[in-house]
Parts: sequence; structure tokens; C-alpha cells
Amino acid sequence: MTRLTPVAPVREAAGARPGSRIRRVLPGGVVAAVTLALPAFLDDSALTVYIFLGLAAMVTVGVSLLMGYAGQVSLGQGAFYAVGGYTAGILAVRGGPPLAGLLAAPVVAAAFAVVVGVPLLRLRGHHLAFATIATQLILLSLAGQLEFTGGDIGLQGIPRLGAGPYELGDASGYAYLTWAGVALVMLVTRNVIVSRPGRALRALATSETAAASSGVPVGRYKLVVFALSAAFAGLAGGIYAFYVGYVAPSSFPVLLSIEYIVMAVVGGLGTVWGAVVGAAAITLLVQGLNVIGTAPGMPSYAPSVLSYAVYAVVLIVVVLFLPGGLLPAVTARLRRER
Amino acid sequence: MTGPPTDGGTEPAQGGGPAEAARSGGTIEVAGLVVTYGSATALDHVTLSVRAGEMVALLGPNGAGKSTLANTLSGIVTPASGTARTGGRLAHIPEGRQLFPDLSVEDNLVLGGWRSRARDPSSVYDLLPRLAELRRRRAGVLSGGEQQMVAFGRALMSRPDVLVVDELSLGLAPMVTRDLAAHLVALNRERGLTVLLIEQNARLAFGVCERAYVLEAGRVVAEGPCAELAANPQVARAYLGGPIEEATP
Amino acid sequence: MREFLTYLVNGLAVGCGFALIASGLVAVHRVTGVVNFAQGMFAVVAGLSASWLLGVGLPHGVSEVAAVLIATMTGLLTGLIAIGRRGTTPQSSLIVTLGAGVLAYAVEIFVWGDQPRSFPGLPGSLTVAGVGVQRQHLLVIAATAVTFVLLSAFFGRTYLGKALSACASNPYAARVVGIDVTTMGLLAFAIGGLLGGVAGVLVTPLRPISFDSDVTLIVNGFAAAVFGALTRPVLALSGALLLGVAESLAAGYGYAAYQTEIALGLMLVIMVVQSTRRATVLEEST
Repeated sequence: MTRLTPVAPVREAAGARPGSRIRRVLPGGVVAAVTLALPAFLDDSALTVYIFLGLAAMVTVGVSLLMGYAGQVSLGQGAFYAVGGYTAGILAVRGGPPLAGLLAAPVVAAAFAVVVGVPLLRLRGHHLAFATIATQLILLSLAGQLEFTGGDIGLQGIPRLGAGPYELGDASGYAYLTWAGVALVMLVTRNVIVSRPGRALRALATSETAAASSGVPVGRYKLVVFALSAAFAGLAGGIYAFYVGYVAPSSFPVLLSIEYIVMAVVGGLGTVWGAVVGAAAITLLVQGLNVIGTAPGMPSYAPSVLSYAVYAVVLIVVVLFLPGGLLPAVTARLRRER
Repeated sequence: MTGPPTDGGTEPAQGGGPAEAARSGGTIEVAGLVVTYGSATALDHVTLSVRAGEMVALLGPNGAGKSTLANTLSGIVTPASGTARTGGRLAHIPEGRQLFPDLSVEDNLVLGGWRSRARDPSSVYDLLPRLAELRRRRAGVLSGGEQQMVAFGRALMSRPDVLVVDELSLGLAPMVTRDLAAHLVALNRERGLTVLLIEQNARLAFGVCERAYVLEAGRVVAEGPCAELAANPQVARAYLGGPIEEATP
Repeated sequence: MREFLTYLVNGLAVGCGFALIASGLVAVHRVTGVVNFAQGMFAVVAGLSASWLLGVGLPHGVSEVAAVLIATMTGLLTGLIAIGRRGTTPQSSLIVTLGAGVLAYAVEIFVWGDQPRSFPGLPGSLTVAGVGVQRQHLLVIAATAVTFVLLSAFFGRTYLGKALSACASNPYAARVVGIDVTTMGLLAFAIGGLLGGVAGVLVTPLRPISFDSDVTLIVNGFAAAVFGALTRPVLALSGALLLGVAESLAAGYGYAAYQTEIALGLMLVIMVVQSTRRATVLEEST
């Protein structure tokens, strides 16, 4: 968990003045401390939100990396989430050690991304967007028919996560696990971004031709980022399966993939912290509206109408008016005022 | 916009003699024009004017801002400051022809009449009979000279008062250029069509225009009658391939 | 053989629905460069509207036409938010249309609820060459054929249609001659809404429609449009018919469960093959 501390905003890696380094690491440390302390103060339903927020953040960091750094739109990130969930679920249901299931989830998701990525990443822009959404639909349709995935009913009774005599029973345990996963994902992403290939990828997002002509192995880098983002989603899916205890095709609707896009766009594409902020902002907003929507006297359709409306309006407004995303817009304003 | 109304929709539709393709009396008035693309300044306080019935050249190397000026005049580029006004209806023959390659020659012409609501290309066919022969062909498959002729005809379809021609001669055989230039001069002399001729080929421009402006790096660096400019050693070296006296020792 | 013909007609009718969605995608994409993810939503709006209008007592015909008009307005509104703001890139516009699709979910559930709706189409069936064919299937095929003929006449013969083609052919040149490219883009979105609406009122009697049916419709429509590289309506039409027939045959001969896989797998293969070919062309030309 202490891993959260070194994860600082990307710019910090550019080797800034020593004073600014402290100033930039400090917020990260505060966030880490708050993240660690929170589960102790939350009740069970709030913990559930906290866990789902972390899972969404994990996937969104990958989406943000993919869209912001490799310039690729994936409308099928839910597919990798599903692969992770089913991998963990199938292994655990068949009596495999749960920990192995959890570790296999990101690995299998990444392997699946490599297999579909080799042909699909030849596609660009909207073609890739539709190809990824098609991949998810095919996957869901298959999962709904095949026996070993449990068909439409899905996999029930996935055992709790544990290793040897230790079993992760309560929600706060899953909260720690989830946020450890978030920290890991952020750390990996940060290291990718500041690495030499990461800087080359930044060029890729702006102009693929320019990047290719300057000798960047465009195809391989795209595939690596695609697989990495799939691994993040797979890890989140694995934790989801153990926490919720069942997975079914209906757990991974196409709308889920669109939610991740909304979160990534809101946070600001290509920013590690932005992805987490975006996931948090949207999750909390939808949760708040859900409370309003389920209040006594509200019609039964209120929660879904409110959440769809909020996703849509936030997405449209941010894309049109804050194309850099919420976090960069806010930090830019703070810096100007300072 | 000043000067005559730019909307020709109220005009009576007249039978199509060649002269119907153009009207007279347009002006160009550019004052303190600044155009920027991001942080780059394409035009830096450019001032120039073209009187009704004049034929004026605008010279300058690649990247001087000539096409930006043309695009600003036709309203495609918005100025950062200053004004670019045309009196009367303006037609613009853009650099590189810029036809509708998937459409037929006739459709290209007819769409040229979008502003004037002119739908009948017969006056253009009278002026440029070759286009009548090509009317059914797709514009994208024509030769460079034929494409420039379509671009010329398309501009005339709007029955302009002012014609801005961006790089008439670029990539064309000298004979084709001479032919098109002759049409331009005829429209200017006979109908008083105002012309701003943007050219890199200064010999052509000096041959047909009375006055010229020289644009370099977004600024007007020289202006005056063509004869004077041709005698200016700097202009001659840059645009006529060396001073005239050196060329003829 | 008789079964085969029945499946064929059924597949053609379903394919016609995809073809109308695809042609709307093509119209918008050609003029604006935007892939309109909300294209399937227009069909849903029209289908739900028609069923609602019939429910409140409007007669057939009036209800369907009104539903198509509602879809056309929806198309125009979608266009306004997707391309109305200057400087929106096609990629941003795609995401905005995605948002418009989700926004429509909220509106649709609010107005019509979240349950699937349908309405009866033409009743009864005909016997053609010894094969029983539902009248509604024939209506769908005939209406689609008429729509395509009108569409091609509009784009090829009318001045406004030519102006739209001009924007598709060379947007810069369109601005040079004074055509307002944004207005034309909005018109294209309205046409997209109209075509989606026609698809919606024709197909809803065949398979009930609910607010989230748009994903299936748009993905199949996109698959069809991809046959024509998103720019050729006729190729998109043949792609759509092929897709519809393939799905119908798959369903008819016992692979109903694998319809999605077959259709989408086909789309993926075509896109990848096209991109490979395009890459070769690019390499050769440089």
C-alpha cells in the first residue's frame, strides 16, 4: 500500500526543482493516507461503492493510457474486464487456488488482447472503435452459450479469495486489495509513460506517421499498450469476480465500456491521476443520483434515467468544452491563480 | 461588406452571351490585416487595395501568405485583426484548382453558381467551348490544364465582380497558361472585371497587370506599377531570375 | 429449398433494415467525416414513437410518418451537438454521438419505459412461387428499394444533393464556392435521422424494439457500411443484404445462437482485409 506514495503526476518525472518535487509528492502522500484510512470509516454499502470506484479507476487508467498515449479508442474495454472476471471465476469454481485465479485474470486478459490486437490494431479511429465493441459483443454472446462459462446464467458461487488458511472475508479486505491494485496499475502506467517507449508513444498519439518515420516501432508499442490496458481491466475483473461471487454476460454490458470512456475523458486522457479522478467523480455522481432516484416517491425508472442522463451530459460537455479533461483544466486554473 | 450587394439572387436571369459570365465594378480593400495560425503569423498588417476594373498582381515566394490572403478574402479564414472587404461578389480560383473530383464537369460548374443562384452553365460554355465537350466527364480524371479551365469556369458561374486567381500558371504548360491568361485579360478589358492575380510567375503577372504588390513573410515589401517593380533590382533578382540587364548582357 | 427461400426473403427484409441504417451512416460520414454512433438510436426513436402514436389512436400511415419526422428532428439535434461547435474533430464528434445515444436512453425510458415495444405491421402473407412470404417482409423490401432510388436521385439529380456530394468530395472547395459546410453537415444528420426512422418503423413489427436495441442496429449497420468503406451506398446496401441473409440462414439452419458471432466476425474480417489492402496502397504510393 505504501506504493502509492511514489506515484506522482507525470510532469514530476521531468526532473523539476527540489522544492517542487516535495510539493508534488506531498498531495500523492496525502491521497495515499486518506485511501488507506477510508475503509475504517465506511459502512458496508459505502465500502461497496469504494471498491467499485477502485475497480473502475483501474480500468480507466488503462483506457486513458490507450486513448491518450496510443491514440486508440477502445469501446470494448469491458471485454477485457469480462475475460478477467471469467478467468478468475472459472479457475476458482473448478477448485483452483483463488490466488492463482486472481493472478491469471490479468495475464489471460493481456494474452487475449494480444491475440485480437494483432489483426485489430491495424484499424484506426472509428474502425477500431467498432471492432472493439464487436469483440465485446461476440465475447458476451459466446459466454452466454458455452457450457464452461455457465451460459446466460453465468458462474455462481465463486469462492472467496484466500491463500492457505487466510480468507478475505469482509468488504474492507477487498477494499484494500482493490486499492493496492489501483496503486500497482498507476505505478506501472507511470513507469511506462516516463520510459523511452512511453515518450515515443506520446508522439504516436499526435501523429502515427511522424512517429513511424522517426523509427518508432509503432505496431509493437500499440500492441503493448493495448495488452497492458487489458491486463489492468483483467485484474479489476478478477477482483470483481471474487468480491461479487458470480459473473454472467449481463455483468459486462457494452454500456460498461462506454462508462470507462466517460471516466477517462472526464479525467483527461493520458493523465494517470486524471483517470482516477474521473472514475471517482463519475462513480460518486452516479451514486449520489442513485440515492436521489431511489428516494421514496420517485418513479421506478428514475435511477436509470438519471444515471444515463448524467453519463451522456457529462461526456458531451467535457468533450466539447473541456477537451483536456476535468483535472488538467482545474490544475491549470489553480496554477494561473497562484 | 461595402459596395454593391453581394447577393445576386434578385437579378433578372438574362440570356447567356459570353460576357454574362462576369459583371463589373468590384473592389478589394484590405487594411491592417493580421491572420494567425496558432502561434504563427501568416499575415502581418497587410494593406492593399484594388480599384474597380483594375488587374493587380500579388507576387511572393511560397509561404509568404498569398493563399491565406485569398482565403481571407473569400471568408474561409477569419482574420485576427484588420479588415478584408470586397465590394461586389467575389469568386476565388483556389491554388491547386480544388475541383470536386467525384462530380462531373457540369456539376462542378453548376455548383460554382451557389452564391449567384445561377444554374445554367451555357454562358461559360460559350466562353470556354472545350468545357461543353467535357461536360459529362468526372473532373478528377481531367488533365491539369482542363482542370484549371473548369476551375476558371466554376468561378465565372457566380458572375463575379471580383476574381481572385491563386496560382493560375502553377503546373501548367506555357501554352495553356497563355490561353487562360488571355481569357482573363479579355474579361478585364471588355467587361471591367476586377482581378487580383496571385502568382509566383512574375513574368506572366507583369505581362498582364498594371500594378503589383510583393508579399514576403506575411508583409507587403514592395508595391507599385509593374514597370517600376520590374526595374527594381531586388524584385527582379527574386522574381525574374536576376536583374534584366544581367539577363541580357 | 422452400425453407431456403423463406429464410432468404426473411433475411433480405432484415438486411433492408440494416441497409437503411448503413445508408444513414454513409450519408453523414461522407458529408461530415463523422461516424454517427447514434444512427441506431434514430431507428429506436422512430420505432418507439410509432408504437406509442398507434397506441394513442392515430391511424397507420400517419403514425409512421410522424415517427419518421420525429427521428429526422432527432437526427438534426444530434448533428447540432456533434458538429455544431466549430473545431470539433471527427473523433470528438464520434464520442459526442455516443453521448447522444446514451442521452436518448434517458429520454426514451422516461417517455416510453424500458420494456420492448412493437406494433403490428401488414397482416397476412402471400404465396409467391409456392413459398409463403409475410406481407410485412415484402413491404420492408419494397420500401427500402424506393428509399434507395429516391436517395440516389436526391444526391445525383437535385442541386441540394449535389451540394451535399460536393461537401463530401472536397469540403475546402465547397467553402470556396460559398457552400456552408456545417449547414450541409446538419442536413446530412437530418437525412441520417430520416433513414434511421424509416428503418425503425419498418423493422419494429418484425422484431420488438427497446431503448437499448440501438447497439445491435448500429453495429450491424456499421458492418454493412464497412463493405462500402463508409462512402459507397450501393456497396453498403449489398453488404447489408448479405449480412441479413447470412444471419437469417444461420438462424434457420439451427445456428440462431451464433448470429452475432457470424455477422460481427464477418465485419471484422472485412475491415482487417480492407486495412491491409489500404496499407499496401499507401506503401506503394509513397
